[in-house]
Amino acid sequence: MILAKDISHFYGKEQVLHDLNIEIKQGEFVFLSGESGSGKSTLLSILSTLLQPTQGNLTLNGIPSTQINNLDAFRQNNIGFVFQFHYLINYLNIYENIALAALPSRQASIHALLDELEILHLAKRYPNEISGGQRQRVALARALINEPAIIFADEPTGSLDSKNTQLVYELLNRCMHKGTTLVVASHDMKVQDYATQTLRMLDGKLL
Amino acid sequence: MYSKMIKTDGDIIITQKGIADNFFSNVNIDLMPQINALKNVNSSYAMIVGASPVGHIPIAGIYGVSENHFSHYKLLKGRYPKKGEVLLGRTLSKQLKGRSVKVGNRRFKISGTYTSNIGFEEGGVVMPISDAGKLFSRSASYILVSVKQPSTTTKLVKTISSLDPDIKVKTTQTFVQEYNQFKIIKNSSLVISSLAFFMGLMGIASVMSMIVNARKEEFGIMRALGKSRVFIMQNIFVETLIMTLSAYLFALILSLFILSLLPHIQMLQGYVNGSLSLSTALYVLLATVLMALMGALLPAWIASKTDPLLLINQGSA
Repeated sequence: MILAKDISHFYGKEQVLHDLNIEIKQGEFVFLSGESGSGKSTLLSILSTLLQPTQGNLTLNGIPSTQINNLDAFRQNNIGFVFQFHYLINYLNIYENIALAALPSRQASIHALLDELEILHLAKRYPNEISGGQRQRVALARALINEPAIIFADEPTGSLDSKNTQLVYELLNRCMHKGTTLVVASHDMKVQDYATQTLRMLDGKLL
Repeated sequence: MYSKMIKTDGDIIITQKGIADNFFSNVNIDLMPQINALKNVNSSYAMIVGASPVGHIPIAGIYGVSENHFSHYKLLKGRYPKKGEVLLGRTLSKQLKGRSVKVGNRRFKISGTYTSNIGFEEGGVVMPISDAGKLFSRSASYILVSVKQPSTTTKLVKTISSLDPDIKVKTTQTFVQEYNQFKIIKNSSLVISSLAFFMGLMGIASVMSMIVNARKEEFGIMRALGKSRVFIMQNIFVETLIMTLSAYLFALILSLFILSLLPHIQMLQGYVNGSLSLSTALYVLLATVLMALMGALLPAWIASKTDPLLLINQGSA
């Protein structure tokens, strides 16, 4: 499903990733662990096509990422993101934030998804009118709306209390059981309980 | 202002030949009977245009006109002036009191008040041309001739020119185009307005560029969610268009309001005037929209080419 070969990345002259080789199969729950600055977020961004690696090759569903004609459309059809800081658009309400990401065929499913995540009552509110936990659930809803084949999550529980953290993991776990591939970067070792593969990073290298 | 006066009332203008500035022109008024006798001449009138202290007002326009041109000034009060009398413009009359007024070094009786379609004329004084002649020591500044048939104008210019070797005869249209003062005013206005316009446009472009740059994070999120570059550019295009058109509409209304106020400001005595033609308004609209779109779309296009993650990081920084 995802094959990363000899991936290296530089920010200016500083090398942050060193010749990484990763293979992730469909339906796996991959836990990307490591200290801050170890390169987890950069690797996640490269695997999810948000960032072009300086060196190396990335293959998604058997197609090299450089040969994907329309990366934007590919992302919308195949990939869901949960960002550490939610990154909801503040001038759009919750419903509109999700509708922005939804494919035309999935627009009708927004209410059902919000209901499933117990945030339907927030549909008309704006991101700055809801709590951090609620925002994270909205971000999750946005990632799930197109039923993507792969979900990438960067510290999805970083700003959540234990109750909301548990809820997020259970939701992600449910996705995995439906066949969705999950790649989660986190400091939280509890993720390991759900993961089928753990990749530990240190100074831009896989241990 | 001169051009407006001249354009309004005649087809041919006669001034003195070989002078540096028409303000000092001196044409023999005795030419008028000969001109009026020419075939295809409808009428003619002479005028002296000068400036002088009037009462306590340091400077005001003085219009010495031949009797057949008095009707150009619409009476509001009183009657047209006889010898030794003056008619005060509406604006000027509000600043003067009494039944007589000193113009230059002579005192004149006030015969009434007039209004005019030409704003600045309302800040001046109308008197018989003979009195103005004594005041400014000349016969007439110019003679204006109106013709019966416009097709005969060129021929008449030649005929009138042959009447006196000391006169310069032109169609009023040519006169206005060639008059140096008009050229200087026109060119100066063009340079000043172009500079102001260009600076304004630079401002618009800078603001739009800043707005787009401030929204990099949002564009990064959209790209990460799978929205295409075209989608982002379209959004910016529509938003820019709405903002620019709203700003333009507001500026247009404000400009028209200010322009309508100018002739009524007493202090300016009608000398400061302005108009906004449809073509100018459309030109400004087009240029404004183009510059705003350039200012917005260029950084948006650059942003749309950047990796979504870098955009998000740049926007968050």
